[in-house]
Formats: sequence, structure tokens, C-alpha cells
Amino acid sequence: MSAVTPDIIVDPNVAKATGLPVVRERAKITPRKRATKWAFSLLGLIVALIWAFPVYWMVLSAFTPNAQLRTTTPQFLPVHATWRNFEAIFQEGSFWPALRMSLAITGVTLVAVLLFAFLGALAISRFRFKGRKSFILAVLFIQMLPAEGLFIAQYRMLASTGMLNRVWGVSLFYTAAIIPFTIWMLRGFVAGVPAELEEAAMVDGLSRTRAFFKITLPLLMPGLIASGVFAFLQAWNEFTIALVALPANSANTLPLWLRTFMTASVARGVDWAQVMAASTLIAIPVIIFFLFVQGRMTSGLVSGAVKG
Amino acid sequence: MSTAAPPLTALEASRQPQPIRKRRRPIAPYLLIGAPIVVLLLGMGYPLFRQIVTSFQGFGLAQQFGADAEWVGLDNYVNVFTTPEALAVLWRSLAFMLVTSFLIVGIGLGIALLMRVVHGWVKVFLQVTLLLAWATPVIASVTVFRWLFDWNNGVVNWLLVRLGFDGMAGFAWFSTPFTFFVVAAVVIVWMGVPFVAMSLFAGLTQVPDEILEAARIDGASSTQILWRIIMPLVKPVLSIVLLLQFIWNLRVFAQIRLLQDGGAPVTDTNLLGNFIFQLGIGRQDFGGAAAVSLVVLLLTIVISAPYVRSIMKGDSK
Amino acid sequence: MKRTRLTAAVATAITLAFALAACGNGDDSANVPAPTDTVPADPTADPDPDPGPAPEGATITMWVAGNDTPQELRDWLIAEFAAQNPGSTLVIEEQGWGDLVPQLITALPDAANTPDVVEIGNTQTPTFTPVGAFREISPELFAELGGSDLLPSFVEIGTYDGRIYALPYYFGSRYMFFRSDIWGEAGLSVPTTLGEFTESAIALTTATQSGFAIGGQDWRNGISWIFAHGGNLATVEGTTWTSTLSDPNTIAGLEAWQELFLGASNLPVTDRDVAYWDFLNDGTDDTPPLAATIMAPGWARWSIGHLDENGNRDGMADEDTFDIFALPGVDGGIAPVFAGGSNLAISAQSQHPELAENLLRIIFSEDYQRMLGENGLGPANANYTDSMGDSKFARTMIETAQASRLTPAAPGWAAIEAAFVYEELFQAIAEGGDVAAIAAEFDARLTPMLNGN
Repeated sequence: MSAVTPDIIVDPNVAKATGLPVVRERAKITPRKRATKWAFSLLGLIVALIWAFPVYWMVLSAFTPNAQLRTTTPQFLPVHATWRNFEAIFQEGSFWPALRMSLAITGVTLVAVLLFAFLGALAISRFRFKGRKSFILAVLFIQMLPAEGLFIAQYRMLASTGMLNRVWGVSLFYTAAIIPFTIWMLRGFVAGVPAELEEAAMVDGLSRTRAFFKITLPLLMPGLIASGVFAFLQAWNEFTIALVALPANSANTLPLWLRTFMTASVARGVDWAQVMAASTLIAIPVIIFFLFVQGRMTSGLVSGAVKG
Repeated sequence: MSTAAPPLTALEASRQPQPIRKRRRPIAPYLLIGAPIVVLLLGMGYPLFRQIVTSFQGFGLAQQFGADAEWVGLDNYVNVFTTPEALAVLWRSLAFMLVTSFLIVGIGLGIALLMRVVHGWVKVFLQVTLLLAWATPVIASVTVFRWLFDWNNGVVNWLLVRLGFDGMAGFAWFSTPFTFFVVAAVVIVWMGVPFVAMSLFAGLTQVPDEILEAARIDGASSTQILWRIIMPLVKPVLSIVLLLQFIWNLRVFAQIRLLQDGGAPVTDTNLLGNFIFQLGIGRQDFGGAAAVSLVVLLLTIVISAPYVRSIMKGDSK
Repeated sequence: MKRTRLTAAVATAITLAFALAACGNGDDSANVPAPTDTVPADPTADPDPDPGPAPEGATITMWVAGNDTPQELRDWLIAEFAAQNPGSTLVIEEQGWGDLVPQLITALPDAANTPDVVEIGNTQTPTFTPVGAFREISPELFAELGGSDLLPSFVEIGTYDGRIYALPYYFGSRYMFFRSDIWGEAGLSVPTTLGEFTESAIALTTATQSGFAIGGQDWRNGISWIFAHGGNLATVEGTTWTSTLSDPNTIAGLEAWQELFLGASNLPVTDRDVAYWDFLNDGTDDTPPLAATIMAPGWARWSIGHLDENGNRDGMADEDTFDIFALPGVDGGIAPVFAGGSNLAISAQSQHPELAENLLRIIFSEDYQRMLGENGLGPANANYTDSMGDSKFARTMIETAQASRLTPAAPGWAAIEAAFVYEELFQAIAEGGDVAAIAAEFDARLTPMLNGN
């Protein structure tokens, strides 16, 4: 068991659990080991390329004129590259309102999920109380219910409270659908932070709240961020609830907006190049979010845990 | 850096039981779970209640437009288990769930282990590509895969012919249930692996290097280290990940639906999610759809019971 | 002691949660994270927060499906509606075709939020008419809006139990696109009977070229062969529907289609109504086309032709290479094809039915009908089809539309489409099975479904 002073941070167990850098001696590197490492790296590259290829194909199609999308001999390079698919999308003009709506709903959901899941996780990993097991099981089982049949009841709830076409109503359902999973995920992280750490800090004269913010929270950041990425992707891509709960065009989210490019009907066919361009646009904020939190997370850990 | 992944780290891997804080006010935990419970009740409570009620009713489009719903007892449930179509869908979904779940977890574990032993820049490259795959909207992913497996100008057939499989020229992947599910599994695995690989990789970072060093110094081979040290330590995370895959892959819906849209033997390729959708939105038999949903819920609980039991056991020690 | 923004944000949020959790005890409602009035940037206000019954000063909503109704037509409707109904406003919301049914299922029964006028796919209409989703169009209003001049097959599909609930909005049609160069080189000319077409298509077929490219599951094009042979998909007595695939005429049509598919199409038996036009064009690497003939909706024209300098198809400008004809009937003339298009209906729950009816009056006015035609959409009123112009494309579309047929107006039709039953029927036939046996099997499956069981 660990000592109870703040220098516990250099304890390798805790440090590893939090991704903190630990200075340690390196084993001797033999030429054979080096060759093995290169072999594994090559394998890793091949795997990465396999996973990247469909995404590459999507982006490539987004830059190809629709008429030239399907060729008998595959075109692996952007020989006919054009911005026109993107231009057409931006000209049409509904992208920005949909982006705003998606960001609003995803933002509210993200904060609510992290908040409530954290509270739930804190309760079940820091306390033993009556009904604890039932709560854990109920939370696990709730996410097993297929969502395809729930939308009628959800619509009625929102309609009867005047919450159609609003950020808050949809966010509530997203939050409820996502927190079961995140409670399970965060529970492990909270359990991974020794309670003595916090108590030790209090012994050193910090208030409970300050001890929490200085010691516990920074150690939980990886878990919160991991849950955040998951919650972000779930809320960002949800379709069915948004479909019935946001019928006004001005309230459409990006997945609803995407389907406007999928319509083939009496007067036109589907412009698949535009569908791919739209899909590329939808994926970009997710990447930005990921890169943002990844950078923040590292610095947050350092400033919180080491300096604090 | 590793923690950027969405890990289920430490989930069950807390290496020592936590001393439980004795609080003077036992009300604190209830205050803490109060908020999440309210959200869950509001968001899921009434819909779940409606689902249960509807499953005992003859509830169709007329009822949705105000006609009185008739109580039919267990009829909807009996139908699920007596129509051959529903039973076939059930078995097919279970088989598909098992195959894809083990594939996803197996490949995800492989990639996670690989990420430990490659150069740093390869690791970052792998993480970014995995995230790209994860972030791509389902519609786009499935459409791209449909193109890749197109009978006429798909890259896969083109490549196979180049590799000498001349018989694959013009092969229609979606025309038989088996090859349809091969493509469906490829799509699901491609979309599912990033989450698993990143979670397991985060879990793996919890294996203390000191233990590995010590084992190496004691002369343990890499294989021994993998099976004797790493695997037991990540096993709890692994079983949670597998459980989640079971839950998610049993109700795969959008991917199958979008693949079928290109033309496929529909009845023979429907899974539970599609079946519920077809009953509910397609045939407006909301009672039947609700019954199937609840059966799926019960089925998932039964499947996951052993895992849940072992998890809860570890929890209470 | 620098704290990052994210850390700060999370910290604030958690502090807030503690506060919420603390005061939330015993007062559940305090925890609802949705007090509407504190929303700072709610991007959408409810368009009609106060659904007062005042006929003047009210807002009505129209749902259009897909992007077929061009923006200038929508703008015109909004302006014209405002001019004719002072103080009232029309809001037009576009919904996707693919998910229209779940949206209608939830919104139409909801008096407070229902759209007042909806566009709905013609094959989806019979699902909603029997359950009281739509307001009846009175015989007087029907006569005023055009009466018998309105496309009869679309009126029929909007009729239930002798009452009219939905009217035609616009129609499209299908005809044959072909490579006149390939047909010409083979010494073949435009066929005048269905049998001649089959012969020619089979003659043009090689291992790499389909004489007539059609997917095995493509029933929307395939049912034309049933109609051409005088067959029907189903008949109705009172309100009871019976699937009539085993009718001798229907079987003759299915057998003719089977002969054509087996002899002239290289496409997989599971392909549906796919992007056939790709097969008619030369490959971008100058490979020969994969098909000599296809059947497609009129807009396919814009995906066919040579590439222009922008990389777009030129819309069949080269008449020596690309041309069209209407599918010929068994004994000459024009075969009935399946007509695409949509209906319009007023929601039964509409709070402003008079205004909704006023909107229909505007839509069925000559001005708007002509605007539809000028935009390539077949106008509902037969008097105005000349607005589509006089090109061969417009002429062929009007000709084929006049001979067109619709799917049965049975309440279970949407369920049949959702379960892809006709796809499976045509696949079984495309696989070369015995048509009579397949027809009997599917009759047994379809009859209960048609009646909504």
C-alpha cells in the first residue's frame, strides 16, 4: 500500500494508472529486439492502412465529381479533384445552423453525462449503501433495451411538455441513454484513485473540496475524457430520436441534415459525391474535439497533479 | 498520451479492495445518485413503461391515431416464439453476435498489444486512423463498404482478380446470405474495433512496467509474459469489453438496413434490430415490436448473467 | 497554479452538480436539466407557441418530402399564401423521404404539433387513410381543385371507403434509355411491341454487355410487364384485398419478365432499382458500356451522356449515341408503367383546416401547376401538362404517365414495402424458378399483409 503523502504521485502504480511519465531505467536494446520492433511497427502500419482505407475512400469521393464516382478500374488517386461538392453544400446554406444545433445538443449532453455519470460512479465506488447493487444492475440492464421501439413514447413526452425542436428535450434523452455506460466506465476510474490520497491532503490542511479538486479530480481526468469522447460520438451521431423530436428544419442536427443529400425521387438521383463530402464535414468536428481534449488532458494532469 | 483512449481501465482491475469510507451521514450516496436516477427515470422510465404496456396490447397505427388499444395478454410474445421467421432471426442474431463480438475483441486486443511494441509515431498513426474510423458517420461507412464490395466496379473484386482469383470477377457479394454476412461482419468489425482497441490499450498501460522488467530479468519469454502476466491483469477489462460487444452486436440495426438497401435477400439477412424496425415502423405492429424488444432485453440479461455475477463478486470483496 | 480551461469547466460543472444534488433531495423536479426560460441560445423557438384558434394571424405548416419542390416554388407559395390570407403565415419544412413514415406516425396524431398539410409518397398514402390520419376532402372542394382533371390513379390511391383524403401533388414516370449506336450497329430499330423488345434485348446481350440491364429485385420496373399483359397485383372487394399473382395474365407478365431477365440482364438477382445509368455510359477509361438499354425515371437523363469539361454528363446531347423510347405494349402502343410521385393531404388534427384548404387552392391553381411542370414535375392537373415543354423527354414522360399505373391502395402496402416482399418475389423469379409455384407461394404471403394483418 502506498504512503500517504502527496509524493505518492511518483508511486509507479498510480503514475501508470494515470499516464504520468515515470523515469525508469531502460533495458538494454539488442539488435534482435530492434528488428522485432521494426517488424511489429511494419505490421502496425499495415493495420493502420487497412483501417484508414475506407475513410480515405470517403474523402477521395468527396473530392470527385459525382459522374466519375464509379469507374470500372478503381481510381486510387484524386486525379479529378474538385471542391465543387463542398461548394454546393455550403451554397445550400443549411450546414451552419445544423452544425450549431449539433454542437449545442452535444455540448449539453456532454456536460450532463460527465456530471451525472461522475456522481453515480462516485456513489457506487466510494460508498456502500442499501440499494447499491440494484442501482448498478439497473444501470447495466437499461442499456440492453433496443432503442428502435422507444421513439413514440419519447415523442409524446417531449410534445406534451412543449419540448419539441429544443436542445434540452433531446439532450435529456441522449443523457439518459449514455450515462449507464459511462457510470460503469467511470466507476473503475474513481476506484482507481486511493481515497487515502485525498485524506492525506486533508491532513496536510486542505479542505475537502480543495483536496478533491487538487488531488482526485486530476487523477480522474483520463476517465472523464474517455467518457467524454464516447458521449460526444454517441450524441453527435444519434438519428432516431432527433428525427421525431426535431421536425423543424431550423432545428435539424447534422445526421438529419446528412439525409437531405440521400434523397432520390421524382426529379433527381442521389448525389453520392455530395453525401461523402457531407459525411467528411460531419467527421471533422469529432477529430477536432479529440485532438483538443487529448492536448488538454496531458497539461491538465501535469498542472493539477504535480503543481497542485 | 495513452489515456486519450476511451479506456475501461482499472474498471475491475483495482488491485486492492478500496477501504470504504465510513460517513457519518449515510445520506451522501443517495444525494449523489439522486441526480443520475432522476435523469434515467425521466429519460428511460416512461418509455420503458410504455414499452412494457404496449407489448401486452394489440397496438397498431389505428391505436396511435386514438383508437382504443385492446389487451391481448401474451399474444405478442407467443407470436415471437411461434413464427418461424422470428425464431430464425433470433438464432441468426445470436450467431452473428457471437462471431462479430469475438472477432472485434480478438482483433482489438491484438491491435492494443501491438500498440505497446511499435515505435511511437506508428502508435499515434494507429490511434488516429482508429479514431477516424470511429468518427465516420454510419451512412458514409456503409456506403463506402457497399462500393468496395460492388459486384461490378468494387475494389475488393478488382483486387481479388488481380491476385489471381479470376472467378471473383463480377461476384455479387450481397446475393447470398452467407456472403452478405461476411461483408456485414467486415463492416461491424471495422466500426467496432477502434473502441475496443483503445479501451484495451488504456487497460494495458495499467500493467506496471516494473513487473514486466522483473519477469524479464527472471528470464521469462515474451509469450510467457503475455499469457502469465499481461492477460490475467487485463482480463477484467477484457470481459467488460466483451460484454458490451454482446449487448451492442445483438441489436445491430443501421448497418444491416443500409447494406440491404442495395439489394439483398432480406428475409434471410434480417437481424433482431431490423425485425423490430420492420414490425414497428414497417408494419406498424407496435405491440409486436415492443414484445420483441423486451425479449431481446431479457435475452441479453441471460447471456450476460455469468459475467455480471463474476463482476459483482469481484466488486463486493 | 495554472488550471486549464477544460479542468475549470469540469470543475465548475461538478460543483454545480453537488449543489443540484444537494438541493434536489426530495424535490425531483429541481433536477430536470431543462428549465426552458434559462436557455440562452435556443436556436429554435416553437414556431407556434400559442395555437390559438384564430383563423387570422395563424401559422400553418406544410411538410414537403425530399428536395423535389424547388426553393423558388416554396418561396412563391409562402408569398402567395401570405397575400391571400392576410395576417397568416405559411411555414414549409422539408422532411427526408427515407424516414417520412416514422415522422408522420408521431406527428400527425399530435394536435399541438401536427403539420397542417403534408406531402406523402403515393404508395405510403393508403397506410394512413384508413386510420383517420387525414381530413376528408369534401366533394365540393375536390371539384373546385380540379375534380376529374386531377390524375385519377393518384386520386384513387388517396381514396378510402368512397371518401377522398389525399390528392395528387406531382408525378414522374419511367421510360427506356438506350444506346442508339449499339442498337443501330446490330441493325435493330426501336421496338413496337413488348415481344420485339425482348427479342432485341436478348440479341444484344453478350458476356460483358446486357441487352437490357435490370436488377433481379427491381419490382418497381418489373411490374410494368404484369400491367402490360393485363395483369394486376391485387384486387379489392369492399375493403378486402386479394393478391392476384396467380391470375393467368399476371403469370404471363411475370414469365415474360423472367425470359427477359434471364436472357438479357447480367445484373445480380439481388440488385434493386440501382444507378442503371452508369451501365449506359462509356467507362471513364473508354471501356464499352455494360448495357445497351435501361429503364429509369426521367431524371436519369442528367446522369447519361458524354462528360463535359466540368466532369458532368451532358444530358444525352449526342442523339446518335443516346436516345429514349416508351416501353411498348404487348400488342403495340405504350405499356403501363409504375408512376412515381406523391400525394398531398390535410392532417385530421390540423387546428386551421380552413387555412390548409386555402393552401390547397393555391397549390392547385393554374399558376402553381404550371410552375411544377416547368420544373420537370408532372402537374397533378392534366390541363397543364403542356407546361412541361415539347422536348422528346417531356412528351415521352407525359405519354408514359398517362398509361401509368399505381400499386394497390391497400392499407398494408407500406408494410409490404418495408418487408421487401416484392423484392423477394422478383428475385425468386429472376433465379429461374417456376413462376406459377412462386406466384402461389407469394399470394399466400401477400393477401393477409395487404389487409394489414
